[in-house]
Amino acid sequence: MNAQRVWTVAHKDLIEVLRNRQALFPLIVIPLGLAVVIPASLMDFITSPDTSDFAGALMAFMTQMPAGVAPTHLNPDQLLVYSFAVFFMAPLFLLIPSMSATVIGSSSFVGEKERRTIEGLLYTPITNRELVLGKILASLIPSIVVTWTAFVCYALLVNHYANPVVGEVFFPTASWVVLMLVMVPLIAFLTVALIVAVSGRATSSQAAQGTSFIVVMPVILLTVGQSAGLLLFDTKVTWVASGIMVFINVLVFLAVARIFNRERILTKLR
Amino acid sequence: MTLTGLSSTPAVSPRSELVISAKGVSKRFDNHQAISDVSLDIERGRVFGLLGPNGAGKTTTVRLLNHVLTPDSGEIWLFGERLTAATADEVRSRIGVQTDTNIYESLTARENLHFWAELYGVPKQRRRARVDELLEIMELTDRASSLAGTFSKGMRQKLGVARAVVHRPELLFLDEPTTGLDPEASLKLIDFLRGMIATDHTTMVMCTHQLDGLETLCTDVGVLIDGRMAASGPMESLVSERWPGHWVTLELANSSLANLESAHRVLADQFPEANASITDAAALLVSMPQAEMTERLVATLVHHEFAIRALVPVQRSIRDVYFDVIGSARGGAV
Repeated sequence: MNAQRVWTVAHKDLIEVLRNRQALFPLIVIPLGLAVVIPASLMDFITSPDTSDFAGALMAFMTQMPAGVAPTHLNPDQLLVYSFAVFFMAPLFLLIPSMSATVIGSSSFVGEKERRTIEGLLYTPITNRELVLGKILASLIPSIVVTWTAFVCYALLVNHYANPVVGEVFFPTASWVVLMLVMVPLIAFLTVALIVAVSGRATSSQAAQGTSFIVVMPVILLTVGQSAGLLLFDTKVTWVASGIMVFINVLVFLAVARIFNRERILTKLR
Repeated sequence: MTLTGLSSTPAVSPRSELVISAKGVSKRFDNHQAISDVSLDIERGRVFGLLGPNGAGKTTTVRLLNHVLTPDSGEIWLFGERLTAATADEVRSRIGVQTDTNIYESLTARENLHFWAELYGVPKQRRRARVDELLEIMELTDRASSLAGTFSKGMRQKLGVARAVVHRPELLFLDEPTTGLDPEASLKLIDFLRGMIATDHTTMVMCTHQLDGLETLCTDVGVLIDGRMAASGPMESLVSERWPGHWVTLELANSSLANLESAHRVLADQFPEANASITDAAALLVSMPQAEMTERLVATLVHHEFAIRALVPVQRSIRDVYFDVIGSARGGAV
């Protein structure tokens, strides 16, 4: 595989995304909503005195947590805020890369087809694997960048709201760091690969987005649910899960590159 | 018809001087036979004009020759190498393709060319110079930093050609390369392509309806009709097969029909080996076995007191070949 050609395609697509305001808008709005607006509203609520019902639900969750997951020296109020910040928001974060990727990835191939640029690309010496990987990277990189940016914003938010209550700087925890640095890119890669596969077979951008949602959502829910649960375990478990995800990603990528069909793109996608 | 996938096929074609060799290539889409048993050979440095009416199969042929479509039957050799899924990507690095597909509108002209140069592996140290050179040749230097989406049709066309040649391909496919260009720009582009042939011995396949202008470039012609190659070969062979001998048009000072008929009788009587006819333009069209007969023919007419106003050798063009082939295929309807 020629890394230069992979990066050339990814770089070209990234430039196109950055110059497209319609594509940029959801890339900013989705993380802002999931990582800032929703957590800020909830934290404001949970740190206020009148939170009995919500706090009750959180306490019920905390009683189910395995021993040793949360610090033992915190009092119940502090533990409530800690648990909310550390355990409850992870699923939202794991949704960000997948949702951001859908915005860009669903038009990766079908968008080129609609703009009548794909044929020129198919005449070049780029291999199917290089082309598919370039398209995946073009969606993956912005997804990871916005997720990490949102994570930094969330960390600041947590420390603003939660530190005064907990009385110490506790976020990000080691599990969160591993989740962000390892699991987020892996989940994003899986999602993007599936979306790019859909884009290579869809007949229009709208159809690609609709089909992507149907194909990707079960994968998102499954991986996000499982990954969020990793916060309840030791980081070693997260590393093992990451290894499994790497294996799955390689298989999915090879399958997507294998089903990529130049002839179909030229003759079937009108 | 030759079938693909024969295990006994040698790895290297014995006729490796051929840049393109296609044998019995066919392609069907659903219930439409797009290409039927097409064969063609193109040698290095030749310019093959691929002609045909709309829907004849020109685009499909180009796609098959680049292996973006896979033939149902037949085999294709490029640069002496059998074209397969395993070899296609590598072979494509030696090919440039300009089609009617779009350039990237949200990239600048310079970015478009750099993108293509990188894909084709033009070394970084030569890339900038090559891109600058092509922008200069295509007279796009002033607009190098403008988004291609703001370009006129002619500028897009020039950028499309520039990106196809950015890596100095050995084989170049061009699809109506002068469409949208003004006459001056067309001539400059043809000169540029001629320069590529002279200096790099580039082989070209040119799909076109533009029968005037590009004919000076084409050394070989193929005419596709309904997916079949109705005629193909070097221009001179195609012309000599259809119009053997030497042809001239004779214009007499007195162009009345009676005078023309009188001259026609003299020629028929004195030169039985020649053929003469009276044209709609009140002239005599004469074909003769050798060009050397022309002097004797003129002398005879002068001897019979016919005043000759002009004698013009007839140059058969790509247009003549095209319409003759089309006419023959359709039973002389053209």
